[in-house]
This record gives sequence, structure tokens and C-alpha cells, in this order.
Amino acid sequence: MESRRPPPSPFVENYVVPGDVVLDLSEMTNQTIKLGAGLRQECDTIQATSSGKLRLSKPNKYWVESSQKRYTPSVEDTVLGIVVDTKPDNFLVDIKGPNLAFLPVLAFEGGTRRNIPKFEIGTLIYARVVKANSIMNPELSCMDATGKAAEFGQLKDGYMFDTSTGMSRMLLSSPTCPVLEALGKKLSFEIAVGLNGRVWVNAPAPNTVILVSNAIIRSESLSGIKQRAMVENLLQKLT
Amino acid sequence: MSMDQLRWRPTVNERDFIERALQSDLRVDGRNSFDFRTLKITLGREDGTSEVQLGETRVMAYVTAQLVQPYRDRPNEGTLAIFTEFSPMADPAFEAGHPGESAIELGRSRAVDMESLCVVAGKQVWSVRVDLHILDNGGNLIDAANIAALAALSTFRRPECTVGGDDGQQVIVHDPEVRDPIPLTIHHMPIAVTFAYFGEGNIVVLDPTYKEEAVMGGRMTATINSNGDVCAIQKAGGEGVMSGVIMQCLRIASVKAADITSKIKKAVDSYTTEKDLKKVKRLPVSVPQKIHVTDVTMENKGDGELETQTQTAKTPSNVQQISKDPAPMVEASSEEDAQPVTDSSNAEAKSTSNPHGANGESDEAQEIGSPKSLKDAIKPKHKRKKKSGRS
Repeated sequence: MESRRPPPSPFVENYVVPGDVVLDLSEMTNQTIKLGAGLRQECDTIQATSSGKLRLSKPNKYWVESSQKRYTPSVEDTVLGIVVDTKPDNFLVDIKGPNLAFLPVLAFEGGTRRNIPKFEIGTLIYARVVKANSIMNPELSCMDATGKAAEFGQLKDGYMFDTSTGMSRMLLSSPTCPVLEALGKKLSFEIAVGLNGRVWVNAPAPNTVILVSNAIIRSESLSGIKQRAMVENLLQKLT
Repeated sequence: MSMDQLRWRPTVNERDFIERALQSDLRVDGRNSFDFRTLKITLGREDGTSEVQLGETRVMAYVTAQLVQPYRDRPNEGTLAIFTEFSPMADPAFEAGHPGESAIELGRSRAVDMESLCVVAGKQVWSVRVDLHILDNGGNLIDAANIAALAALSTFRRPECTVGGDDGQQVIVHDPEVRDPIPLTIHHMPIAVTFAYFGEGNIVVLDPTYKEEAVMGGRMTATINSNGDVCAIQKAGGEGVMSGVIMQCLRIASVKAADITSKIKKAVDSYTTEKDLKKVKRLPVSVPQKIHVTDVTMENKGDGELETQTQTAKTPSNVQQISKDPAPMVEASSEEDAQPVTDSSNAEAKSTSNPHGANGESDEAQEIGSPKSLKDAIKPKHKRKKKSGRS
């Protein structure tokens, strides 16, 4: 018998546009395929409904990864939000999505009614999405699943800028993205990446911060080698 | 409530950081305090349209004109009106009002000659209308809108009209195909230069970006032309600034204004050249190959940039191919002038005909065995320049 796994679609790791038939199900029998974002089953075929790169996670998970400036909240994403308003029960946080998100005042490690954190408008927060669907406002939390703080919370100092969602994913991918690796060899800085297309950078000297943020912004469309070359160029100009 | 949600707010971190960086003379995008962002002017599809890109800010301008009755107190002058439109794709929450300043400055200055727009005194004058569309708000809309409007006005051509008819009062507007439309008379180009102030007026930067604008304490726009005349200064609210700082800003602004004026002029010139080229090409289609073309076309375009018309000669001796565009470069970016256009079209020539050391000289272009008509068309202008035989 041939391998039970369905043959991978020829489109994997390639770009697809809406309407492309990604898999033909008529040949496969008795196999389960899991579909993620951007794919839809039409009778016997699987078609893409959004444009982007088709990804496959063995054995049988497919999804389409696209990069946009707007963010669609989904659960378990770590995002960077800006506090817009405070209510008795929640902070209203802007995460670049269609709605404002709620961050309950108690969703902090060891949070009780007595030690509610005081965030003024414009505070930058690193949080995790707990509830997200298209109709309601998403909900955030500054604790991880076990209840620990785990780096969530307010980010102080530093500088924040916007990128596309694809760029954020690239920055968070492992092995480390080439531009971060090249920058990290020479400079020391701290960085927090939100999957909603926001990046925060901090370093002791302002010109390091400026250099890092410009390098990241410019590396979006460059390949790995070009990214390293660009970083070298920038570093040489500084020194 | 939803407008508030949509408006982007700077975080506390950014505000502090931008100010701190400016204390050490660093701008977030790596520019110097008095550097403009890259300016790109695209003139292209029609006369009187332009698109300007200043860093991330994009503005498009469109000029139209129509005959109207003049104002009673100015029966000899036409009018110039500027309208601005904001689309939500430029900025999610646009508040009307501030780019209107640039509209006011441009209109109030006497840059465009109004009396030449008069057709019949007291009855009919041309009313020129400039529509500015903001496509992307990346900061400093006033400067970008100003440059777009100037570029569009420089390339705008209004239809020629004569007064005639039975009673001598009827105005006949000529079709552009019949008589060439004429350009507007522009006396000078007022260029707006915007400064942003931070930290109690100590720190000044030029051409603020979107984030710098959100964090700045005050803003001043100085409108200067290349002669050094200050046309307007506008400072609406914000922090107070010392007069010494203002004088320094004006000096810097005059330098920058000269720079930008030359960029606009270059872009407009190369655009005009392109258009003239296309006009010359139109004729040979109806003219048989052997006959040398009449000089009619030459007289109309009495300006000096015709040496670049050699490109038309380079196409092979096929009448059909002559009418195809030599160089599809409709875009005239501010850094290029007509020269690269010549090179690229000669490169094209190389592929179609036997290779020759094309270096933009008209002789070599003419050696491709092009029809006599085109060569003769070019000859009158080039006799003085090219002494060697064109054969």
C-alpha cells in the first residue's frame, strides 16, 4: 500500500491566489486533511480564498499565509497594543484590528482589586489574545496560560514602529531571521514583536534604536543574503 | 467615538523617544534635521496631472479650466481655485482643515498670471481649478500638495480660443486637435517648506514625518520662491518660537526652495519633451517614406529641447514601427533628465537594427536607414550641431 499520507500539493511553499485549486480530493480516500486559514472545500477540491503562500505542516495541515497591514485577531497570538481608554473593569487596547480589545484589569500576575496597574493613555502593552472572533471585541491577557507574567505587561522606553503581519512572522521565525542575527552580532538591543504588525525596540543609545528599526523596516522585501549585506552597510556607515 | 478609535495615537514611548533622539540631533528615519525626504514627481498621463511622492506622502493634482463670468470687481482677470480631497485610504481619520492652508497660500500668491486668462473683458474668463487628492498621508501634506499643484499647473494646457462670430463677442473654443492648447503663464513658483518644532522651540526639523507631526509642539510653513522672495509664512498655534529661529528657518527654506524648483522644472521639461516627441511621430504615418516632411511641425515647437527628437529617427524604416513609442518611459522622475531617455531608446534600436555605437548622437541614429522624411525633419535643428555627414 502506498504511504497513507496524501501526496503534498504541488503548490506548497508557492504563492497562490484566490481560486487556485490546491488539492484534488478525488484521488485520495480515507484520509483526513486539516485546513487552516485561507482554504475552503468546494465539492471535491480545495481552493484558496486568500492570496499568499501555501504552507504545509506535516502530516496533513494546510493553510495560506498572507501578509497585510491589518491584523485579524486570533487566539494565542502575542500582540503589542496601545492603551486607548480605561474602564472600571477593562483597559481598552488598540491592536490594529477591526475592533478595540479588552484587557481585564485583573489579568495580571497576582492581580487583585487592590493593585490594579495604572496605565495612562498611550501605554504600550505586550499581551496575549485570549478570545477572538469576528463579532465581538477580542480579549487580551497579560499572563500566560499558567498564570505567570512571562514578560507580558507594559513596555517602557524604547521605540515602536509598524510593519506588516508577514514581516512580524518572519522576525519571529526560527531559525533567527537573518537581519536580526546580523544586527545582534554587533549591537545589543531588546526587541518585542507583536503578531499584529508592531515591533518595539529598545537599546541604551538612541542611534542604536534608530539603526535597528530602520534596518528591520527595510529588510521586508529582501532575501537573507541581501539583508545581511544591508545590515553590514548600515553598520559601516555608523562606525 | 469611532473617529477616536481610528485616529492613530503615539505611544508614550514614541513621544519620549523621538524627543530624546532629537536632543542628540537624530531623526527616527535617519535623516539630518534639515533634509527633505526623497522627492519623486510623476507627470504623465495627461497635461495638467501630476503625482508627487515625498517619502511616504503621496498627493495627486489635476487641473481643469472652464469659461465663466468674471468677478465684478476684477473683470480682466481669470480665477484660480484649489480644492483638496481627502480619502480615507490616506489616513483613517482625516480632519479637514490643515492642508487647506497650502491651497490658500497657492491661490493667494500671484504666481499664475490672471490677466492672461481673460478672454472677453467683463464677460468670459478662464477659471482654472486645481483638484488635489491626498492618496497617502505620511506627514507634511502641505509641501507635497504644493509641489503637486505647481507641477500640474506647469504642464496644464488650456484650449485656445478666439473671439469671433457674428457679433464679435462670441467665443470659439478650439479643439486641441485643431489648434495646440497653450500653457498658463506662471510668473514664479512659490514653494512651501514646513518646519516642525519640538521641545519648547529649541529643536527644529524640516519635513516632518507622520509620527513627528503627531509628537511635535508646533509647526511653521514658509513659502518662498527661487528668487528669494518670501511669499507667505504661516504658523498656526503651537508653541512660541524665537524670532532668531524663524530667521534661520527662512534662510534654510530659501535654499531648499531653489532646489525643489529646479527639480520641478526638470521634471516638467522632460515631460514636455516627451509630449513633443509624440507629436512629431504622428505625422509620418500619413506621409509616404520618400518625401521629406514639411517643416510645419518644427515651427510649432519652437523650443530648444528638440535635440532629443533624434530618437524618432532610430526606429527602422518601417512606417508602422515608427508610430510605436520609442521609449515607454512616460515617467519623468526628478533625478533623471532627458538623457537616459535617449539611452534607453537607443538600446531598443540596437536590438531591432544592426548594432551601432549608439551614444545618443543623431548621426548614428540616422544611419539606420530611416526614412528620409524623419531625417529631414530633424535636419533643420541639427545642421548647426552635427557637422559630420549624417548620410
